[in-house]
Amino acid sequence: MAAVDLTQFHKTFFEESLEGLDAMEAALLALDSGSTDHELVHTIFRAAHSIKGGAATFGFADVAAFTHVAESLLEEVRSERRVVDAALTDLLLRSVDCMRAMLDRTAQGLPAADATSESLRVELAQLVEGEVAAVAVASKPKSAAVAGWDIRFVAMPHLLQTGNEPLRLFRELQQLGRLEVLRAFITDAAPAEFAAIDPGQCYLGWELRLHGAVARADLDAVFEWLDGDCELAITALAAPQEAAAPAPVPAAAAPAVAASTAVPAAAPAGAREGSASGPADGGSIRVGIDKVDALIDMMGELVITQSMLNDIGTNFDVSQLERLREGLAQLERNTRELQDSVMRIRMLPIGSVFNRFPRLVRDLERKLGKQVRLELQGEQTELDKTVLEKIGDPMVHLVRNAIDHGLEVPEQRRAAGKPETGTLTLDAHHEGGNIVVRISDDGAGLNRERILAKAVERGLVPAGQQLSDDEVAELIFQPGFSTAAVATDLSGRGVGMDVVRRNVRDLGGTVGVKSVAGKGSVFTIALPLTLAIIDGLVTAVGEERYIVPLISIVESLRLGADTVRRIAGGGEVFQFRGEYLPIIRLHRAFGCTDAIAEIERGIVVVVEDEGQRVGLLVDELLGQQQAVIKSLEKHYERVQGVSGATIVSDGSVALIVDVGGVVRLGRRVKAA
Amino acid sequence: MAGKRAAKHDEGQAAGEVATVVLPADCRIAAQAALQAELAQALQGGAIELDGSQVERVDTAALQLLVLLRRALDGCSGTLAWRGSSAALNDAAGLLGLARILELPAVGPA
Amino acid sequence: MAKILAVDDSTSMRGMVAFTLRGAGHEVTEAENGQLALDAASASAFDLVLADVNMPVMDGISMVRALRARPEYQGVPILMLTTESNTEKKMEGKAAGATGWLVKPFDPEQLLATVKRVLG
Repeated sequence: MAAVDLTQFHKTFFEESLEGLDAMEAALLALDSGSTDHELVHTIFRAAHSIKGGAATFGFADVAAFTHVAESLLEEVRSERRVVDAALTDLLLRSVDCMRAMLDRTAQGLPAADATSESLRVELAQLVEGEVAAVAVASKPKSAAVAGWDIRFVAMPHLLQTGNEPLRLFRELQQLGRLEVLRAFITDAAPAEFAAIDPGQCYLGWELRLHGAVARADLDAVFEWLDGDCELAITALAAPQEAAAPAPVPAAAAPAVAASTAVPAAAPAGAREGSASGPADGGSIRVGIDKVDALIDMMGELVITQSMLNDIGTNFDVSQLERLREGLAQLERNTRELQDSVMRIRMLPIGSVFNRFPRLVRDLERKLGKQVRLELQGEQTELDKTVLEKIGDPMVHLVRNAIDHGLEVPEQRRAAGKPETGTLTLDAHHEGGNIVVRISDDGAGLNRERILAKAVERGLVPAGQQLSDDEVAELIFQPGFSTAAVATDLSGRGVGMDVVRRNVRDLGGTVGVKSVAGKGSVFTIALPLTLAIIDGLVTAVGEERYIVPLISIVESLRLGADTVRRIAGGGEVFQFRGEYLPIIRLHRAFGCTDAIAEIERGIVVVVEDEGQRVGLLVDELLGQQQAVIKSLEKHYERVQGVSGATIVSDGSVALIVDVGGVVRLGRRVKAA
Repeated sequence: MAGKRAAKHDEGQAAGEVATVVLPADCRIAAQAALQAELAQALQGGAIELDGSQVERVDTAALQLLVLLRRALDGCSGTLAWRGSSAALNDAAGLLGLARILELPAVGPA
Repeated sequence: MAKILAVDDSTSMRGMVAFTLRGAGHEVTEAENGQLALDAASASAFDLVLADVNMPVMDGISMVRALRARPEYQGVPILMLTTESNTEKKMEGKAAGATGWLVKPFDPEQLLATVKRVLG
């Protein structure tokens, strides 16, 4: 048959290996924090073991060689010949990092091993008892020329229970040469009484003669699995004549040897080519069967509704109006449920992101001399895969920040009457249509004075201005703000909270902080469940429909004509909660005709982005709707102030307002 | 199980009558306990006729049981006859060198 | 062609085994651990079982022992897919009732040759 292309399994191998490494890391950390659960050791061993097996199978020799040594070390732990101490945990954690890097490089088609991995491999190997013996394949001695073999083969009673069927063995022997059964006999183990026989046991023995110049190794291979299941005696038959026998031996043996060595050598070469040419990642997702089943259920219901409506449609009269309404209501319900189910396919538990943190926290503890207890809550909370992939970095930053700046060193905590070990809690839950992730610490809280001083120094606020606690807290999200008295190598990497906020905002989310001096801080990230759908307010502007994302809306109001002020340069502002906000006439911004031009006849929707508010003038509000976002860039081109398009309930196209874009427009108005 | 096994002997059969036992199509290890019970009963009459014509799959356990039956029959001067045997049965018996002991028809001396 | 049960917790290894065997015309059922394999083995009869040794929930050795305790699996060949080149693990598998083993890494050709050998 044609060679099997193994490259199709590479991606799965990388995915499961990285998962295995995550599990290994989590188990190592659990052991490190004092757990004695022996299952943890099994988990760690199994991960290394699987990676080794897969890497060898798919031809990633460097990865296989590295994991082989790690596995040998872990085998000593598993068999309790070696205890896990902090030094060993450190070494194994470094090995986990190294394996991750090696897998990454392999996936990119690069050589997996580098100086780091090599030195680590040597370090591991030196630890392993008696040195890891290279898998030395003893060269098989050339078999002497023989005319054949006499084989005495007596089954032990349990032979048949191992699935080693003598018929199969005899057939294999027949492949090697001409098989002659000299004698078949019943062994003494057989009960004399027919009724007393256990038919599952084997009571037979044979004296066999295998004719032909058969290599002893080939003969041994036939009986390889029967060690302990039979009595076996093999004796060579002397070659009767020199002329006939010796010649066929090399001829017969050579092809077999060539085949068995050439094949494995060829497979890895092909595999490497494949991985080098195709690291392109289309992205895949593993979906639980329950989600797929729910989808199929939903589909089934939709089909039933469809046929019901079809039925009404073919013989319609007015008396069926009520049934039609019911059918349509059912269709709506089905569609909504189907939408939910489809969306759920992309949803993954946030636990996979949370799982990075035990390691990070441990490293930070050591580095900063602090004691931290990490609590994870709501790991099962699911969110969109894309959001999930992008939320990791902002969270890492917030966690670093909390440990670096929030939590105090043990002496300070003791002095403040708190337990020496600080608590950092990561918590995720659903709230409305959002996922809320909270990063809370019981540290010192934000330092109001230092933040204010820095803000003044940076010119973010005028000196002497009175600010509420929340307003002060907001300052840390301003671009370029950093409060660290001494920039450590952890938080002081030039990445400020402004970047965190921008990253979260790119995901359609918000981030904020509440802090109590001496008690701690809570950073709250609110994210949409998915990037593909938003909750929006449908507004009318002339003939057009615009959708304003609900998350950005502060309030909608009708303004009296006298509340609007004109400012120099043609801008219009109005007072809202003690602040002058610019008005953006959407009809003007987007060039709509037949729209309401008198502000008092329209509606002003106050929206907010990055703390900046503006009022959008629209004709009227048509209602709320979930909007499936279609990219304008993909179908048309990028449009200023518009983030995408969608289809509204009457079937027409509506544009989705890019609040950030129009707010920037408003700032120009205000500045002018 | 595909093969039907119909023992055509009567329950309280008299000595001297020939009991016929049909070997099942799937005559492998899992079928042997039932076959053994049937053969043990047939053995009481001392004369057994085996029908192996339906046998499609057979293994060492089955052939061993027949060899042990042969031995038991020899011990009580009973007789074993064949009504028929399939190619699968003949091949397996031949390969294991048991065809002659079993006196299978249409098979030369092993 | 034979009905084969492939048991491995590694999706890629299991996929490779199943794909190779299906390509050779066999009917393959996949199971992720020993327990699921036992469930599958209750639901239908297999001519051959290929099982990894190290698996969560139920390992391959326990699975072999449990399968052999069932009358209908007395003589069914069970091969362990093992990276353990040490005889200790092999013997443990054998003691549990495994027919033999296939040492990882193996390539599709080796897998097919071994399966062919066992199925006769």
